Amino acid sequence: MAEKTPARVTRLLGIVTYLEHHDEATVPQLAQHFGVSEAQIRKDVATLWTSGAPGYLHGDLIDFDAVAYEDDIIRLTDSQGVSQVRLSPREAVALIGALSTVAASGVAPEAFTTALDKLVAAVGDGEAVRSIALSNPDPELVATLRSALEDGVVVDLVYVDASDRLTERTIEPHRLVVIDGLTYVECWCRRAQDYRTLRLDRIRSATRGADAVTTQPDTTGGFSLVPQFEAAITAARPARWLLDTFPGVRVDDDGDTVTARFGVADARVIAGQLLMIGPHVRTIKPVELAREVALQARAVLDAQA
Amino acid sequence: MAVDPAERLLNLIIALTHARVRMTRAQIRSSVAGYAPPTPGRSDEEARREDAAFERMFERDKDELRRIGIPLKTVVDPTHGDEIGYKIDASDAKMPDIEFNSAEMAALALASEYWRGATLGPDANQGLTKVASTAGAAPRTPLGLGARATSLSDATAVIAEARARRQAVEFEYTSESTGHATRTVEPWLVLIRGGADYLVGFDRDKQAARTFRLRRVHGDVRAIGPDNSYEIPDPIPPAGSSPAPVKVGRIGLRPEAGHALREQGTVVGSDGDWDVLDVEYRYADQLRDAVLGLGGRARIVEPADIADRVIEFAQAALDAAAASLGEELNG
Repeated sequence: MAEKTPARVTRLLGIVTYLEHHDEATVPQLAQHFGVSEAQIRKDVATLWTSGAPGYLHGDLIDFDAVAYEDDIIRLTDSQGVSQVRLSPREAVALIGALSTVAASGVAPEAFTTALDKLVAAVGDGEAVRSIALSNPDPELVATLRSALEDGVVVDLVYVDASDRLTERTIEPHRLVVIDGLTYVECWCRRAQDYRTLRLDRIRSATRGADAVTTQPDTTGGFSLVPQFEAAITAARPARWLLDTFPGVRVDDDGDTVTARFGVADARVIAGQLLMIGPHVRTIKPVELAREVALQARAVLDAQA
Repeated sequence: MAVDPAERLLNLIIALTHARVRMTRAQIRSSVAGYAPPTPGRSDEEARREDAAFERMFERDKDELRRIGIPLKTVVDPTHGDEIGYKIDASDAKMPDIEFNSAEMAALALASEYWRGATLGPDANQGLTKVASTAGAAPRTPLGLGARATSLSDATAVIAEARARRQAVEFEYTSESTGHATRTVEPWLVLIRGGADYLVGFDRDKQAARTFRLRRVHGDVRAIGPDNSYEIPDPIPPAGSSPAPVKVGRIGLRPEAGHALREQGTVVGSDGDWDVLDVEYRYADQLRDAVLGLGGRARIVEPADIADRVIEFAQAALDAAAASLGEELNG
């Protein structure tokens, strides 16, 4: 997808401000600093070079040192008074919200807290967003995992899995991740012979092992699950709050009822959620999901009996 | 020749920053590179088409300036009739220099990834570009850490903008105690807890501080009324963040089931195959949903009214599932 204009203009202003702060930079340096290709930086410099104030004659335009440019060095000679603009309210909330969520997770390095404090002070509009920890992982567990990660060695775990079974496994840890405020370790599980994302609050004990980590981190994005089938739920409007939260959902609102269509990766999890809007549900498709809902609903009724 | 939209926008920024007093739409159209000035000797039909095209383009550019975070000032000059002019005050808009070290830059880069796929994703990336503009050249320290949100309400973006302007918001909301209603709220703070977000603010209808779960908002959140229409108390009253008192319920859990619930409670005994726990909860529907979501591996012992609700919800879901299965089989 083509880059949106606001994102590009923000980088154009960023390049001007960066060059004002650093006198000069090479194309590769700018590419690395702004996280884009070198070709993109060259296009950006070309756009800046032809932009300017009405009149658009020499002296009205943003200008660079043409001799230095021959050597791939970008040196700004005239900025026409433009510079980077302060964070918009949305940008501030996005960055501050994410920093504070990770800072509150109990696994973040100190840099998250100090970056957060600096950013909040610079934005200067009080506290627009705050994160509250959902659970605080045991600091000793975090320290064990961190030291194993740094030294590249395995960890022996006692872990309660998603089906609520107590398991013993040896993992090769790759990194800690915070998903929706909960903390996990991404790893290669030697027992499953596959990549796993394990919840820290389900680890009952962790012991540093001696074996070296031999696997590479999973690059496929780890925690995205593959949908097994497409579901369609029709429900009364008050159920929309829940349906809206299903990943990849499309919700059609036809007045009194809403219809949600989404891919189901784990029918068990989705069925459990559908029970929470039981009185509002009208129809459940396909049959696999309706069966799973019926199964779980009966289990709940039996448990309450 | 069609000019790259980024270049046109940059030219507009430079022109409006340089403008001594202001520029009118006509002046922008005739002097800023990227806009097409009126064609000489054009027909009425051509004039209408050209003018409409310019208006559309200019409105979009104003929108994009807002998305970049550049405050566009409107200036009315009484000596030139009522026509509105525009100006950008560079000093208003400048990004302050913040000294971030390389570990902090790495933390910010990770934070910008957090909203990938969500409404705030592009805003977070743009924010990182801005922060990088004034940051040092040092390479970012690798962190061995990742972060991601999987489901966040789009409402957060609208609320952030409204709050910055001190503008109220209006939305349709379903609450446990009062049912479905339109609420008008002065936003103070967005609270993120476990990937769910909450709005804390002053509810104009109830005339009191309230916390809203944004998952329970239906449709869009709309900013309404004038800017600067309220003040945010400092500090924000704690009542706003903890509106419901903590209660204790008794539940049964199958051994090793219900870890989230176990964290909120203490095991007080056992009953056959069930571990019996006392758990703390604030909202009856939260406890009800937690038990329902475990699909039979949990049960409410007390209070009886929540147990009744669990039965009612499960029975209704069973009826809907049975009806859907019947339909499939018959049709």
